[in-house]
Amino acid sequence: MDKKPSHARTVIAYIVLIILTFLCLFFFYILVINCTRSHQQIQAGFSFLPGSSFSKNFNSVIHDAKLPVLSGIKNSLIVSSCCAVLATYFSALTAYGLYAYDFKLKKPAFIFIMLILVMPTQVSAMGFINVITKMGMINTLYPLILPSVAAPAVFYFMYSYMQSSLPLELVEAARIDGSSEFHTFNRVVLPIMKPALAVQAIFAFVQNWNNYFIPALVLQENSKRTLPILIAMLRSADFLKFDMGKVYMLITIAIVPIIIVYIALSRYIVAGVALGGVKE
Amino acid sequence: MAGITFKNVVKTYDNGVTVVPDLNLEIKDKEFVVLVGPSGCGKSTTLRMIAGLESITDGELYIGDKLMNAVAPKNRNIAMVFQNYALYPHLSVYKNMTFALELAKVPKDEMKKKVQWAAEILGLEPYLDRKPKALSGGQRQRVALGRAMVRDPEVFLLDEPLSNLDAKLRTEMRSQISKLHKRLGTTFVYVTHDQTEAMTMGDRICVMKDGIVQQFDTPQNLYDHPCNLFVAGFIGSPQMNFIDAKVKKTSTGYALCFGDAEVAADRPELASYEGKTVVLGIRPEDLHAEPQFFGKGNVIDAYIDLDEMMGSESYLYLEYAGQKMIARVPARYAKRAEENIQLAIDTETIHLFDKETEKAI
Repeated sequence: MDKKPSHARTVIAYIVLIILTFLCLFFFYILVINCTRSHQQIQAGFSFLPGSSFSKNFNSVIHDAKLPVLSGIKNSLIVSSCCAVLATYFSALTAYGLYAYDFKLKKPAFIFIMLILVMPTQVSAMGFINVITKMGMINTLYPLILPSVAAPAVFYFMYSYMQSSLPLELVEAARIDGSSEFHTFNRVVLPIMKPALAVQAIFAFVQNWNNYFIPALVLQENSKRTLPILIAMLRSADFLKFDMGKVYMLITIAIVPIIIVYIALSRYIVAGVALGGVKE
Repeated sequence: MAGITFKNVVKTYDNGVTVVPDLNLEIKDKEFVVLVGPSGCGKSTTLRMIAGLESITDGELYIGDKLMNAVAPKNRNIAMVFQNYALYPHLSVYKNMTFALELAKVPKDEMKKKVQWAAEILGLEPYLDRKPKALSGGQRQRVALGRAMVRDPEVFLLDEPLSNLDAKLRTEMRSQISKLHKRLGTTFVYVTHDQTEAMTMGDRICVMKDGIVQQFDTPQNLYDHPCNLFVAGFIGSPQMNFIDAKVKKTSTGYALCFGDAEVAADRPELASYEGKTVVLGIRPEDLHAEPQFFGKGNVIDAYIDLDEMMGSESYLYLEYAGQKMIARVPARYAKRAEENIQLAIDTETIHLFDKETEKAI
């Protein structure tokens, strides 16, 4: 039964894919084009061709005394990278604990983590702000970074990945080989988890890069603020001086690191590191 | 080097299921012991208890003269080869083999020498830089063996190591593992459900069922003198024929009657079974079609349901007096399906079992 897809089907499939690709990329195109155009040009209407105001927009973003873009980028980078590392490492560690060991409260622990997953951030925000204020962490980056240690969604992904890709015999083999439990996790389990770690690192990075809600509550000083808050500030700043070119430029600057992170980690997603060690 | 002793060992899982109720077993130093039995008979659990991967609920386990109940796997000086090889997929063959040595802080030169030695024996030299996924099943299996060898363990544990290989490779690896055992002179404990592997490799075979050792003996003794119906049926392929037969006293001794057949059995033990039904066990090769076996009586005329021609011999699936039987006869004396054939029963080699206790008489 080897049916070849008909010519018409292929054509339709390609048309659909082209439309979807267009829908995905068109807005990026508008963004990049508009960051090269002046406020007046942007207001005049859309153009497919880039303008000549790239450096003007760039300079006005970088040299705005009220808008510390560079420290914003730095803060966003610190928060997002730390969150990506902590969320993936500790979620994998938690998932490993529940996957590889048998203990009495294993099931309740799993259910508890799943319950946290359905709790929206907004519900616990007031309590969270209360706690960090009492701990003296308000207006610092710590409250944005530390909670990522407990990331139930990442945990669940890691847990599912382990079920499909981490045979317990490997852990047992390592135990017999004389590896301590922690050493086994770092040297045997983590390398096998690389594709999952990469995927979740990208997600965690992007999520924290775009996070607005908690940083807006926690960060009060300009120098501590992250990029999404700066973009919002620029957008809601003095209405008369409102410069669309500048806004587009700042947004463009904001998405560049995400693209770099994606390109850097995407090869790990494709490379199935875990294949081959264990015969299925 | 060390032997292994189980003293009244019990294994009960957390859910209350007892897999091994009371295990007493003594494996001698340098012996190749095969644990064999059907799925769920507790053979793998037993092996994993030796490895320390399963805790022991009760009883004592000794490796050498050291009590091992509470000793961590890494301190037992054992090496294990897993069914699915369990190679570290992100490490090269070389690194897979040195993983344990690095942890034991073995000097680099010595490590290299050991890997070279193992690779040479197993023919792995060209593959040392490869990752496991770039190897075939047989090569991976050899890496798993090599990884165990370099550690110089007191005991080798092998958990169905050949079950993922194709038939030809399995035969090849079987002889390679046997050779390896002779060469290393270490205690080997090998788990399998394949009786051919058990018969060909083991110095002694431990047949298990429901966590209980049925018989622990040499392959020849298991085949010739099975202690009960289970062992008799498990060892030997095709399986032994079991026929319900009535014991009758004759002028010369006793006879076993089924259908029209009367098989003479000169066994004084049968005295207490007179008039009762016992199970008569006949190995398929003890049903003879060759003419030299006729003339002593004990001949049955059976109908051939199906025949399987194997080349030198033929398997005949028979029906006689409502009982199914298999005979293994030389091809030139065999007949085809839907014909009748005369077969002589060799009374010297028949086995008798109590129908109730299933034990050998």
